[in-house]
Amino acid sequence: MFLMRFTERAYVNYTEEDVRNSPNEAVRLTFSNTNFDPQEGHYLYNMYLDEYEYSEEVGFDGLMLNEHHNTPTCLGATMNLEAAILARNTKKPKIVLLGNPLPIFDNPIRLAEELAEIDMISSGRLVSGFVRGTGVESLATNTNPLHNRARFEEAHDLVIKTWTTPGPFRWEGDHYHFRVVNPFQTPVQKPHPPVWIPGTGSPETLVWCAERNYPYIFLETDPQGTEDMKSIYAETAREHGYEPGPENFGYLVRIHVQDTDEKAYDVGKGYMVGNIGVGRIPLPRDYASPVGYGSRSDDPRFLRLREQIRSDPFRVGGLDSAHYDEILDSKRWIIGSPETVISQLREVLSYMRPGILAVWTNDGSISHEDTMRCLELMGQEVLPALREIGEELELTDPFQKEGVMPGLTRV
Amino acid sequence: MDVFYFTEMPYAEFPESEAEKFPSMRLTFPNTYFDPDTASGLMNRYLDEYQHAEEMGFDGLMINEHHNTPSCMDVEVNITGGILARITKRAKILMLGNMLPTSDNPVRLAEEIALLDVISGGRIISGFVRGIGIESWANNTNPIHNRERFEECHDLVVKTWTTPGPFRWEGNHYHYRAVNPWMLPVQKPHPPVWVPGTGSPETVEWTARHRYTYAAFLTPLEVAKNLFARYREYAAADGWEPGPEKFAFMICAHVNETDEKAQESGKAFLWRMNYPLRGPREYWSPPGYASRAGAAAVAARRPTPLHELSYQELQDRYHLVVGSPDTVIKKLRHIRDELGVGSLLLEAQGGQLSHADTMRSIELFGKEVIPALKD
Amino acid sequence: MPNFTEETISVAGGNLQVYKGGSGDPLLVLHGAGGNAGPRRYAQALAEKFTVYLPSHPGYGNSDRPGWVETMQDLACFYTWYQEQEGLENVRAIGFSMGGWLAAEMLSMTGHAFSKVMLVGAAGIKPNDGEITDIFIISPAQVRDLVYHEPSQVPEWDEMFGTDPTPEQAQQAEGDREMAIRLTWKPYMHNPRLPAKLGRVSVPTQIVWGENDNLVPVECASLYQQAIAGSGVTVIPNCGHSPQIEKPDDFVQAALAFL
Repeated sequence: MFLMRFTERAYVNYTEEDVRNSPNEAVRLTFSNTNFDPQEGHYLYNMYLDEYEYSEEVGFDGLMLNEHHNTPTCLGATMNLEAAILARNTKKPKIVLLGNPLPIFDNPIRLAEELAEIDMISSGRLVSGFVRGTGVESLATNTNPLHNRARFEEAHDLVIKTWTTPGPFRWEGDHYHFRVVNPFQTPVQKPHPPVWIPGTGSPETLVWCAERNYPYIFLETDPQGTEDMKSIYAETAREHGYEPGPENFGYLVRIHVQDTDEKAYDVGKGYMVGNIGVGRIPLPRDYASPVGYGSRSDDPRFLRLREQIRSDPFRVGGLDSAHYDEILDSKRWIIGSPETVISQLREVLSYMRPGILAVWTNDGSISHEDTMRCLELMGQEVLPALREIGEELELTDPFQKEGVMPGLTRV
Repeated sequence: MDVFYFTEMPYAEFPESEAEKFPSMRLTFPNTYFDPDTASGLMNRYLDEYQHAEEMGFDGLMINEHHNTPSCMDVEVNITGGILARITKRAKILMLGNMLPTSDNPVRLAEEIALLDVISGGRIISGFVRGIGIESWANNTNPIHNRERFEECHDLVVKTWTTPGPFRWEGNHYHYRAVNPWMLPVQKPHPPVWVPGTGSPETVEWTARHRYTYAAFLTPLEVAKNLFARYREYAAADGWEPGPEKFAFMICAHVNETDEKAQESGKAFLWRMNYPLRGPREYWSPPGYASRAGAAAVAARRPTPLHELSYQELQDRYHLVVGSPDTVIKKLRHIRDELGVGSLLLEAQGGQLSHADTMRSIELFGKEVIPALKD
Repeated sequence: MPNFTEETISVAGGNLQVYKGGSGDPLLVLHGAGGNAGPRRYAQALAEKFTVYLPSHPGYGNSDRPGWVETMQDLACFYTWYQEQEGLENVRAIGFSMGGWLAAEMLSMTGHAFSKVMLVGAAGIKPNDGEITDIFIISPAQVRDLVYHEPSQVPEWDEMFGTDPTPEQAQQAEGDREMAIRLTWKPYMHNPRLPAKLGRVSVPTQIVWGENDNLVPVECASLYQQAIAGSGVTVIPNCGHSPQIEKPDDFVQAALAFL
């Protein structure tokens, strides 16, 4: 099992009132950047980087980063820069980007170059995830949401071709046009860095991933629905001649550990203002999913698949508005002493069977000190136990898989 | 006087003569000549050298960006800028620079530079460049819009840094309805802006108008003098007098224990003066890239192209300074005094200069040359 | 030989340079990316039957560029403006190379532009297999080598290319290249939506191609034919991208037969 550490790098120095007084009471997109203090940013960024660097020390296999725009909930607006720093300042862990929002890039060649540079600096430790971005990403960069999926697919194809086809070559597509594709730098990993795709279960994306043997990382999805989504992936995989295993799936979950259950319970409340922001005010629908962003496919296959996915009690940001105890009872967040966390995780892992576990160790208002203690306890107690559980449950990860490694295009 | 250390991070790992087989060593020179494992080692070597340069006493670290060329492996100046922001503590980080016209998303660019300023605690100098013609090709940006996009992109980046979001921008080349990146620079009103040039009169005027620092790049001293004089004229007409901090000069420089040793090791710089500077006009300056006047001025700036100059001529004309610390001090003082510049940008690793020679050179610069330039 | 005159008229707030000659019904000739070569031999021959109008596109030659002419669609708008103003609607037309693309864009916008149209080695549609040669990344001399299949059969070779250009001519050529770059840089020399929009075309259209075209693959002739219902194709054998210059007699014969 592949264990990677994640945090959204939150900024929480603002109040609920600040958000209430902002356009559409939204904490993203239009929440004025006058609420941002660069000096505080200086402190926070370096603190978050310290924590990631420490995560290598305590034994994580991967350091996972994500990217969002115009929001205090995730300071990783230009994630590749953070990735480059980690590439230089760490030695062993994979640098897992989940991921670059492809549709908002007007120049996929430059993105391919950036990622190649990170792969070079890290000596081949990049895992290059791609995402469609939330609606806010489209709006912040003024990318037409109607073209989101078409641009995602075309940018992906062009990035992979740039990495794998000797230059110079030409690309005259629908959204991208280049006459001299020939960046001198190509990635260290051949044929290219592994591609993993995170998501919450769009059937189109599941099918698209399965067609390419790209591992799919479920983001805090509910167990029942996840089972349905895995079966959609598996069905397509079989059509393409392979049987997916744990190495094709990952699971992201908030996991926080402290010395005692009581301490962990108190500290874990800090999550409540992560992701959703201080004040926990749900984002306007037109920000999260502008017209045209979502699928309106009338392809009966996708309609059937969509129906097949059992609905999640915490669906669509539900985790963000639910009561703390409710979430803990459902085991969607796993918070406690090492013993509690390990035993709850054994249960989750037995059921979800991911080869990749993304451990969202802290967020929101959880302090640096508490985070460092959490990471320390992870290293001392939780990670070794999880590795044993992984072995016992045969949760193979992509790097342990022989033959064609999931995440790589057959070139 | 501030002294900056600079390398283009070259990849000189194949026989130079291979370049003969292609129109140029840039743009269409196949990337099959690139070995990523070797490059991985090189990139980290160059970063080590930057760290050493800070430790030895350089005031600043300069980085740049080019596309589709072995002469410069850094394809994303903000990537290396981010790393330097985190692994250094004191030195200024001069990015010379981000290519504005090829950027399709100036808001993201503003965000990236702001992030570097935030991580470094306010040590970023944000250079902006138009990019040579090859960058227009590699990014497929219409060269005819190069200057318009440079100016509009600049205006939007600076506005993003200085105007509270969210605001709207409906320009000619860029369009946004919610400019509000949650990342702003530490330096107020914004990080210093520098602009390099090799002769275009429009660029000098534009730089003077904005009171930014103008850096002459590898020009003969006479040409640099003329460009600086033009800057001063514009400034005077505008009612202000620029100090030395508004002028910088970039030059290749190598120092070793003795003149003899330096002359021998300094030959490694010839690689960067040769094939990487050759290529058809259509690559370097596609039609529309430069104004007719600008093209004429640039053509006049170097009577002989650098790649046609001998090792000795390169030194005689101050494109390359090589020698013992004493010799180099003398020559750099001459440049400083002739040009009245506040900053010298020294490309102290170039071409095939080895790690050992680079480290030794950095040390001698730090211990002997730089203190002597401060008097 | 019919006399051609050079006149300057004002269109859309700028000067437009037009060569005009001959007598008979009007025939509008739209030049290619390389610029207006003036009333060459083929134009003289056509002027025996028609009044030939040969304008320099905005930004080319001595024509001004109204600031808003940035794309091929802008250029098409400009020309429909010109046609309305000069009473030159519903006329016969020939478009060469990029001028063929221009004619096709106009066809996609209005049924009133042309009564009959010839598209010669027309850019505008992306080939399925080959590529439209990138003429901006190579020198003008290299482009010329690609344009002509067999230079020795070009009757006007010496006249056109025999002497080195004067500095003024060189400046003019540079300006022409800049305008071509402005109009066609990205997507390069084609409009992905053009084929679909040509579905409206009902005027008689003849597609003419040099068999050995090294710039726009001859494959594009059939793509145009598929896009424009009822159009015909003439392929001129042993000929490069510019049949009107390389094989003027064959070209004029084909043109007169159709027009």
